[in-house]
Amino acid sequence: MAGTRAARIDPDTVSWYEATARQRVRALVDPGSFREFLGPTERRMSPHLPLFDLPRAFDDGIVVGRADLDGGPVLIAAQEGRFMGGAFGEVHGGKLVGLLRAALELKPTAVLILFDTGGVRLQEANAGETAIAEAMRAIVDVRAAGIPVIGLIGGRAGCYGGGGLIAGTCSRLAVSEGGRISVSGPEVIETNKGAEEFDSRDRALVWRTMGGKHRRLIGGADAFCADTVAAFRHAALDLIRRAPTFDLATLDAEQARLESRIARFGECRDATDVWARLGVNDPEAVPAMDTRAFDETVSRVGDADHDAR
Amino acid sequence: MTEWRREKLAREARIEAGRVHAAGKVVPAGTAVALLEAVLRPGDRVCLEGDNQKQADCLARALSACDPETIHDLHMVQSGIVLPEHLDVFETGIAKRLDYSYSGPQGARIAKMLYGGQIQLGAVHTYLELFARYFVDLTPNVALIAGVSADRDGNLYTGPNTEDTPTVVEATAFKNGVVIAQVNEIVDKVPRVDIPGDRIDFVVEADTPFYVEPLFTRDPAAMTETQILIAMMAIKGIYAEYGIRRLNHGIGFGTAAIELLLPTYGEKLGLKGKIATHWALNPHPTLIPAIESGWVKQIHCFGSEVGMDRYIRARPDVFFTGADGSLRSNRAFCQTAGLYACDMFIGATLQIDLMGHSSTITQSRVAGFGGAPNMGSDPHGRRHPSDAWMKAGREGEIVGDPALMRGRKLVVQLVETFGDKLVPTFVERLDALELAKTIGLELAPVMIYADDVTHIVTEEGIANLLLCRNADEREQAIRGVAGYTEVGRGRDRAKVEALRARGVIRRPEDLGIEPLDADRALLAAKSIKDLVHWSGGLYEPPARFRNW
Repeated sequence: MAGTRAARIDPDTVSWYEATARQRVRALVDPGSFREFLGPTERRMSPHLPLFDLPRAFDDGIVVGRADLDGGPVLIAAQEGRFMGGAFGEVHGGKLVGLLRAALELKPTAVLILFDTGGVRLQEANAGETAIAEAMRAIVDVRAAGIPVIGLIGGRAGCYGGGGLIAGTCSRLAVSEGGRISVSGPEVIETNKGAEEFDSRDRALVWRTMGGKHRRLIGGADAFCADTVAAFRHAALDLIRRAPTFDLATLDAEQARLESRIARFGECRDATDVWARLGVNDPEAVPAMDTRAFDETVSRVGDADHDAR
Repeated sequence: MTEWRREKLAREARIEAGRVHAAGKVVPAGTAVALLEAVLRPGDRVCLEGDNQKQADCLARALSACDPETIHDLHMVQSGIVLPEHLDVFETGIAKRLDYSYSGPQGARIAKMLYGGQIQLGAVHTYLELFARYFVDLTPNVALIAGVSADRDGNLYTGPNTEDTPTVVEATAFKNGVVIAQVNEIVDKVPRVDIPGDRIDFVVEADTPFYVEPLFTRDPAAMTETQILIAMMAIKGIYAEYGIRRLNHGIGFGTAAIELLLPTYGEKLGLKGKIATHWALNPHPTLIPAIESGWVKQIHCFGSEVGMDRYIRARPDVFFTGADGSLRSNRAFCQTAGLYACDMFIGATLQIDLMGHSSTITQSRVAGFGGAPNMGSDPHGRRHPSDAWMKAGREGEIVGDPALMRGRKLVVQLVETFGDKLVPTFVERLDALELAKTIGLELAPVMIYADDVTHIVTEEGIANLLLCRNADEREQAIRGVAGYTEVGRGRDRAKVEALRARGVIRRPEDLGIEPLDADRALLAAKSIKDLVHWSGGLYEPPARFRNW
C-alpha cells in the first residue's frame, strides 16, 4: 500500500511545503536510489520524551541516508517538521552529525540538508544545543574537504533557532516562498520585545522579514524555487556546481558582505525599505509576485548573488 | 381623554435634547457621550448594534463613558455581545437587563457576570427569534447602529456588512424610537442608500472606522487529512445521496474542506450541477474555487467577509449586490432563507450526547446561539417539496398515512470524535445542563435538539438517525461513529454491526471510500495564496492569513 502511494509522487507536482520528509527525499533523488541509515524499523527513539509523557517517533523526526542525484552520490538528511516542529533532540541531532562525519569517509559529491525545524527541542535542550554546535563544526570539516553542503528550505516549520545557525554554515541555500529562515522566531521576538516591535500574528510581516523572497533578495539564500520537489532538485544540482571553495578568501568575502549589509540596511524599519535600497522598483509588489516575475526582479538586484559564504 | 401620542411626544423631546449637540443631524465623535446622555432615559430599551461582524464600537465606547447617575438601568437588546464595552456597561450600572443572541469572544466573562448577578438575563435567543421580538415585546427606544458612510440628511450606506441594520432600524424608527448611526465618514452622496435618511435621527462621525473580524476565513493550509476524509464521506454519502442543491454551511474546517473538495472530488464523482448550487452563506473564501469552477449558481449572505469585497463586486451573477456594485447582505432575510429555503444545514459542534442533542457551551463559557438553531432545525411551516426534503421525509416517516407525509430538512453534524486538545466530542451528558443549573437558566442552552438532527458524520462513518426506529438504536448509532471516545468504546458491538448491515451506520469502505485517498492533494486550494490565484487576484486576504 505504501509502495503504491509512493509511486504516485510526481516531483513536478508534489508541493515541497505539503510533503513529508520521506516524500521529499524519495521524490528529490534519482528514483529508487535512496538507502536510509537508522531507519524507523531500528527504532532509535528519544530517551528523554517519555519523561514528559510525550509520544516518540521511530526515526526521531529525521530521515538520513545516501542516494544518487543525477547519477552522483549524495548524502541526505531531511527533517520532519510534523514531528515536534522538526526540533533537534539527542537522537535527531546525532543522526545529522553522524551523517556529516560519514561524508569525510564516503566523499559524496555533496551533502544535502532538507531543513524543516523550529530549532532545539526544549525537552532535551542540552543535547540539542550540543548537536547544533557539533553539526556546525562537522559542516566546516566537510566543506574544508571540498564537499559542498547544500541546504534546502521550504517546509512548514521553516528553519529557525539552531537550524538557522546551521543553515548559515552551509555552502549554499535554496529557499521557496513559503520557507522561512531566521534564528529567533516571530513569537519569541514578540514575547521579548512586544507586539509593537514585531507582531507575530501579522503573517505578511513575518514572511516579509523572514520569508524566502526576502532571504533571496539580500543574498541570504542563493536560489529561489517554486514550491515543487522538481524545482528544489534543479536548484540543488545547480548549487552543487556553483558552491564556493572553502578558504580564507571566501570567509573574508563573507565577513565583508555581512558588514556592508548591516551598514546599508541596519536602520531600515521594514523589509520593503531594504528592497527599495536594493533597487527594487516597486517593493510593495514583491510579496504577490509569481516565481518568474520574482526571478526577473532578483536578476536586477546586485546583492542577491555573491561569491561569499 | 386617552392620550395616544405619548411615545411620539417623548421621541420629540429626546430629539430636541439631542439637537443641542448636533449640526443638523451630524454630531462629532467627541460629543457622542453628551448626545447619548441627552437622548437616553433611565430604563430605556437600547439596541447597541453588535452584529456577527460589524460593531458600533465608537457608540459602544461613548455609552460606557456615560454618567451612571444620569443613564442607568438600561435594558440592552442586541444580537452580539462582542466588545468588552458591551459588558462594561453592566459593571457600572448603566445597563441592568440583557436579551441577546451570541457572545463568542465574551463568553467567559458573560458567564461570570450572570453568575455574579451583575446581569439580569432575559434570554439567550437565536438571531431570528431576537429580531422577531424587536417587533413584539423587545422594541428598542433607542438604536445605536453602524454604517460606512452617511450624507448630511442621514442617508446611510452600510457597506457590504449590512447584517442586522435594516431590522434594527425598522423596529426602532417606525415605533417612535430614536436611531443614532456611527459612520466612518460623512459624504456628499452615499454610494447607495441602505437606510433612507428619514429613519436616522443623528449621525456620529466616528474617530476610527468600525472594526470587522474575519470570522469566516479558514486557512486551507491548516486542513487535516481527517477533515478531508470526513468531507469526502459527507459529499458521497449525503450531498450526492440526497441531491442537496440548496444549503447552508457552518464555519468550521470540516465544511470548508467540503467547499475545497467540490471542484476536485465532487467533479470526479460527476456531481457538478447536481449538488451545492444555491447557498445561504457568508462569502467564504474557501468557496472561491467552487465558484470559479462553475459549481455555484447563487449565494445570499448574512454579512460579508474581510477581503472578499473586490471578488464579490466582480461576480454579480453569483452574489446579491447593490447598484454601486458592492455586496448587500441581510442577516434576517438570510436566516429566513436558511430556515425555509435550504434543504440542508451542515455544521460542527463541541458536544453531542447519546441522543444527539448538541451544544457549544462548556462549563465556563456561554457562547450563545447565533443562527445555528434556526438553520439547524426542521421548519414545520415549510410547504414546498423538493427531492432531498421528500427523501429525508420518507426515511424518517414511521407511522401514519403516507399520503400525509411531509418532508424533512437534513440537519447534519460534522465532527471529529476528538476535538481541540483531544477533548472528546461525544459525552454522556452535555456541559450545558450543568451550566444552566449553576446560573439558574430555566431553559438549558442546547444548540440543536436531538429531534432535529438527521445525520452525524465523523471520521469513523455516517450515522443516519432518520433510519433509527427507537431510542436504543439511536444511541447505538451515535456510539457506533463515536470512535475511541468513552461513548464510542461503550458501544454494543453486535447492535452496531446490525445497524451497519441496515445502512444506518456507514463506514468509509461501505461508501467506496479508501481512507488513504483522503490526501491534501485533493484540496482545490492548499493555501490562502491558492485562493488568491483562483480569484484572479481579486481576493485580498487579511495580513494574518498571509504567508508571503
